[in-house]
Amino acid sequence: MSNFNTEIRKTILRIIHESHAAHTGTSLSAVEILIAVFKSMDLEKIKKHNNARDRIILSKGHGTAALYAVMYHFGLLTEDEINTYFKNGTVLAGHTSHHVPFVEHSTGALGHGLPVALGIALGLRSLKLGGRSFVVTGDGELHEGSNWEAIMLAGHMKMQNLCLLVDKNGLSQVGRVDECCTVDPLKEKFESFNFAAYEVDGHDDNKIQEIIQKTENSEKPVAIVCHTVKGKGISFMEHNNEWHYMGPQGEDYEKVVEELENASS
Amino acid sequence: MRSVFIKQLHEAMRRDDKVFLLIGDTGFHLVEPLFEEFPDRTLNVGVAEQNLIGISAGLCNAGFKPVCYAISNFLVQRCFEQIRNDLCLHNYPVVLAGTSAGFDNGALWATHYIVDDIGCLKPLPKMKIYSPSSIEAMHAVCRELFAFSGPAYMRIAKSKFSEGKDASNINRFVLETPESEILVVAHGKMVKNAIDAAALAKNFSVFAMDRIKPVDTGVLDGFAGKYKKIVVVEDNFKSGLYNSICQFLAERNAPNPKIYFIGPAEEYEKHTGDPKYLEEKYGLAPAQINAFIKKISAAE
Repeated sequence: MSNFNTEIRKTILRIIHESHAAHTGTSLSAVEILIAVFKSMDLEKIKKHNNARDRIILSKGHGTAALYAVMYHFGLLTEDEINTYFKNGTVLAGHTSHHVPFVEHSTGALGHGLPVALGIALGLRSLKLGGRSFVVTGDGELHEGSNWEAIMLAGHMKMQNLCLLVDKNGLSQVGRVDECCTVDPLKEKFESFNFAAYEVDGHDDNKIQEIIQKTENSEKPVAIVCHTVKGKGISFMEHNNEWHYMGPQGEDYEKVVEELENASS
Repeated sequence: MRSVFIKQLHEAMRRDDKVFLLIGDTGFHLVEPLFEEFPDRTLNVGVAEQNLIGISAGLCNAGFKPVCYAISNFLVQRCFEQIRNDLCLHNYPVVLAGTSAGFDNGALWATHYIVDDIGCLKPLPKMKIYSPSSIEAMHAVCRELFAFSGPAYMRIAKSKFSEGKDASNINRFVLETPESEILVVAHGKMVKNAIDAAALAKNFSVFAMDRIKPVDTGVLDGFAGKYKKIVVVEDNFKSGLYNSICQFLAERNAPNPKIYFIGPAEEYEKHTGDPKYLEEKYGLAPAQINAFIKKISAAE
């Protein structure tokens, strides 16, 4: 894990700790996915709100600490702004809000981001603008039927400027996704819906970025199944659903700081 | 009414290249010319209303002004959370045009008639609600809708009722009886029923509330000072216009008229029938409205 990625994890855990916030594990699994997307987008167009800009929607809005931390490290949020996370009077709530600068769409209820991202892709295509529409969902989130309405239509329409990244950490709130209702085989499912589908180590942002770049001129919508670990980067949080909702306090936070210091040294 | 709406929409799409028509597999033999003329601004998303609303929100993000056209029930109730989160939360300028209203689809039964859409949508911030009462009112409502000032829902009744004169304003008297102490307030198709009822008695006035939300408080305040009795006639549960007027009166710090409701009981009754059958079941037929008013006229 690079120092940059570790710094983002430090920010995520710090803001969650300081504000007694939640949804730690799901934020940590999405870090490299978000880094890869933000590295792939033209941030100048985003800053200028150019209509041809790339867009990203974090459909798993409960992982918003990761989105805000990544935006902060990419210069889209200030330190003063991110330090208000989850605190009274902030617009940086515990789910993604479009009131935060450069956030495209508010999310939190699952299964909303993908249809909206499809609408953006449709709008860009209709206007003959070149931007791409990125959307990040969880794997448990794919239980929501609205996703499959959008997937079916996107494949049918060959919506080439839509790029779906699935943060496949294998866990939803109560337990394992594949014990509750499996979403596998996911890549094959996407292919059967006429997507160009890929599988990748979801903690290798370079590999994810490579796929994003090589599919820039895809003739089909793109789905990238990112195999991730919920709680990635903190030994006692990894694969442990206790940390789906909980944030680190006391000794737990001291251990978090120690592990991340060791990771960056 | 549907063809009037589609014609107005067609003109709006010609005027404004940001208007985008999305249909939920509805509008056979009606929308085809629009699809032909504007292939880049029309889409049938299929039988998938959650996707329909989500796509409309995404189109707004890209600068479009979408119109979603589908059967009212599915447009409002299948995708309520999408309307709440993706449209109202963002104050997106999306027009939701629902085909059929009240008991239009009575014989198709409770999954297809709609008497609970207004109550569903009324609590949502920013949502405007329209129920045009005539062809002329549809023209006036379209002028507001195609200003695209935020999320808006319109239920389109199966009606060919024409007032025979232009309705330059919405929310207006369609029949004024001098010295009458009773006012009937109705919307959509029930305005015609109320006018027909008034023709039998000529002892009350009829007001068409084509826009239900935002509540027309100025108009209601005027009513409260003028009439002794207000009768709300609507093909919707009490959660609709009646509820809005009750709330307005309850919050008004002044003497109020008595308020009455003619409309369906809050139930999905197992026996059904055509619109006339169901309107009669719930006292909405002109003769029944007339009899009801006769009864309350006699009472103090």
